[in-house]
Amino acid sequence: MRNQLKRLASAIGTHGFLIIFVLISLFPVYLMFVTSLKSQAELIQNVFALPHDAKWDNYPLIVIQRGYYRAVINSLLFAGSVTIITIALSLLAAYAFAVFDFVGRQLLFVLVLVGLMVSEVSILIPVYQLLKSANLLNTFVGLVLPQIALGLSFGIFLMTTFFREVPKDLVDAARLDGCTDLQLLMKVMIPVGLPAISALAVIEFLWTWNSFFLPLVIATKQELMPLAVSIIDFMGRFTFNYELVATTCVIMFVPILILYILTQRSFRRGVTMGAVK
Amino acid sequence: MIDARGRLGPYLFLAPAILYLGIWIYYPIAKNFYLSFLGSDSTRTGDYYFVGLENYRKLLSDDLFHRALLHNLAWVGLSIVIPVVIGLVLAVLLVGRRGRLFYAAVFFLPVTVAPIMAAIVWGWIYNPTFGALNQLLDIIGLSGLSQPWLGDTGTALVAVNMIGSWGYYGFCALIFLAGLQSIDPEIYEAARIDGANSFQSFWSITLPLLRPTLMFVIVYTIIGSMKFFDIIYVATKGGPDNSTQIVAVYMFDLFIRQGEVTYAAAMSMVLTAIILLMSLVVIRNVMRRA
Repeated sequence: MRNQLKRLASAIGTHGFLIIFVLISLFPVYLMFVTSLKSQAELIQNVFALPHDAKWDNYPLIVIQRGYYRAVINSLLFAGSVTIITIALSLLAAYAFAVFDFVGRQLLFVLVLVGLMVSEVSILIPVYQLLKSANLLNTFVGLVLPQIALGLSFGIFLMTTFFREVPKDLVDAARLDGCTDLQLLMKVMIPVGLPAISALAVIEFLWTWNSFFLPLVIATKQELMPLAVSIIDFMGRFTFNYELVATTCVIMFVPILILYILTQRSFRRGVTMGAVK
Repeated sequence: MIDARGRLGPYLFLAPAILYLGIWIYYPIAKNFYLSFLGSDSTRTGDYYFVGLENYRKLLSDDLFHRALLHNLAWVGLSIVIPVVIGLVLAVLLVGRRGRLFYAAVFFLPVTVAPIMAAIVWGWIYNPTFGALNQLLDIIGLSGLSQPWLGDTGTALVAVNMIGSWGYYGFCALIFLAGLQSIDPEIYEAARIDGANSFQSFWSITLPLLRPTLMFVIVYTIIGSMKFFDIIYVATKGGPDNSTQIVAVYMFDLFIRQGEVTYAAAMSMVLTAIILLMSLVVIRNVMRRA
């Protein structure tokens, strides 16, 4: 009896703790959504409540009249291109690391791993100067090129880890059938590696979509700004117009939310593969 | 394994990625290192000349830089005490439990929220006039604790770290969960038969076996705490009165607003050195397992 009570108490305690963190995780997201639908007066009255009279007209106002559709398109193109190019470069390099044994393999792999840790802060000044001298500041190409480098090492590392697990027999069999390296990569490794590739794709897309530091410096023209920079630019002009700022945030978050719900397994795989393997 | 003698194959496959990293990572780091030894009379003209260690000497006597670096270190401490520990506790509670994937998915949701967005929304939560935090304190009868969380030099750094922690514990939980699931349950069974209670088995089984994962998370947290920027830039810009100033924001300000290019380069070099040093730990671990 006492044991049962103890177990019940511990179960309640555990679930209570978990539920508190569910609430903490969700509340700011909830707040963002409801704030976008409330008037200023209602917001100050009660921040927690659902809006009495949801003001949906903020959305067309922001997206069309304020020209936010452009930032959405910029972000899609930006994150999309960075993701695709990163995956292509990662696949080629990972194939070399996983399948071949060659002079300098260890050293080159260490070089790649170093890139895993390096951040925008370490490269900001030279990258800015490089883009400036190539006349690439405030261009789409200038936005995409350095951003790829920030995720490339992660991509190579993730794909190498995965390709190493591909059974050697499969590789040997394909070789006996007369596959060239490129065919082996395209017809064997990529199909087998699809789970890892999709994990890499969603994580890379998320990172780029949410990235702020380099775009803030490179894209100072409004026509070119991705959503993250655009929101901060917008906030600078409308700081106290909370419902409009919230609306821009929701517009930036909804595509990620949809992506996350649809590809949770891939997210989980991508995050844990690098760490635990 | 295919023999590499005389074969170009692997190098051809590697060339695009390595060249790419060369242009956008290795060259900038080298250039940054070089710039940190230069100086100029006028910050705008870009006529640089060699000044040796002058910029580094300046760093030694720059009080604001010291404060900023100290805040970065405080951020390391706070991030290990709060999100890493929370993530570990959540993972331990979740492992083997029904519905763990649902919980983990919810805890990971904040990780997908852009840091700039987290900074904006938490800015409202902390807001002194309509902020949810002060209203919550009112409701539970602790209105005496109400304050402008981000506007007070005493609370700003911790308050802003909470924003970062919110976007990080779910990441830690997910990694710990994966680490815990790779531990053989039979070990726990054996310990239970030997009469170990759950605290004992956590201390003498879980923690030692989780060591590599724990190591990874801690090193990753330190590196992340050195280079983070977005949340501070959006939430406080280093203020009030520099109480949340960090190296990345200070360096950004020197470079973009004040045009102190070479001094900013020296500053970012210090961060890079710390990050590279920490990376060595990770790389040694990875190579040992590779």
